[in-house]
Amino acid sequence: MTEPRGSSSVSGAPSEGEADWGPLSALPGNPLMWVLILSEMLVFAAAFGLFAWMRADQRELFDASQQLLDPVIGGLNTMVLLTSGLFAALATNAVARHQVRRSRQWLLLTMALGLVFGAIKIAEYASKFGAGLTPETNTFFAFYYLLTGFHFAHVLFGLVLLALVAWRTTLANVETATAFWHMVDLIWILLYPLIYLLR
Amino acid sequence: MRTTLPSSRRLVLTWATLMGLTLISMISARLDADAEWQALPLWGALLVLVSTGFKAHQVLMTYLNLRVSSPGWKGAFLGLALVILGVILSGYLAARHQLLG
Repeated sequence: MTEPRGSSSVSGAPSEGEADWGPLSALPGNPLMWVLILSEMLVFAAAFGLFAWMRADQRELFDASQQLLDPVIGGLNTMVLLTSGLFAALATNAVARHQVRRSRQWLLLTMALGLVFGAIKIAEYASKFGAGLTPETNTFFAFYYLLTGFHFAHVLFGLVLLALVAWRTTLANVETATAFWHMVDLIWILLYPLIYLLR
Repeated sequence: MRTTLPSSRRLVLTWATLMGLTLISMISARLDADAEWQALPLWGALLVLVSTGFKAHQVLMTYLNLRVSSPGWKGAFLGLALVILGVILSGYLAARHQLLG
């Protein structure tokens, strides 16, 4: 299968009309998106470290609270997000082959799965609130809502970006928006075992 | 110069790998067990983290196409993902052995 060509520089020398981003030019896609990805990873790493520290300090409370989460729902949401990541990557491939209409279809499917992720997350929050488990319940639930809520905010922002590039479908736009979406995938992959699985 | 995007076949294979690794994580965490809630055996926790590390690697290298980048950038992002996993593992082990309690 032939591999489609992307838009970004990977060599040191920028091509005509392209800005020279220095060392960032070696990254695929929009260099500023990689700066954002790096900074988001650092922010989440700090939050994960704080969570891990608090868990070590209040093990019994964290264990008892974690039992009230549904790790299968979390796993289902992981699969939904990873599948949306596949569709996002296929959208980039399609636009690189000048198949704009096909790319838009993949983008819409990506967004549909993003909405499924959101619906599952809202149902999960509703269930927890219904059971009286709020951010004020204890430290574990404060972290649970903070970390998953901050991630959910990124999902919503990603959906807006995807909608914009489904409207203005160019290779550079699709590469940039889907890179953000993959970063959202990546953060969830790291968040899921921390909150739901490790006990 | 322009980058080479991963082929559709490679993307689908990566997706299948990610699905498989997610299932391995869930099984390692013994979500299928009917038994009472209990701490994971150490091997289960390590398997969860190893499969998470592979998933992060796949997303970075294929979905984000970092494989076409320079060794320095690949090392930086994979290293950061490893540091995050190390932080998670350290906190887990500290809680397990009640190092702060």
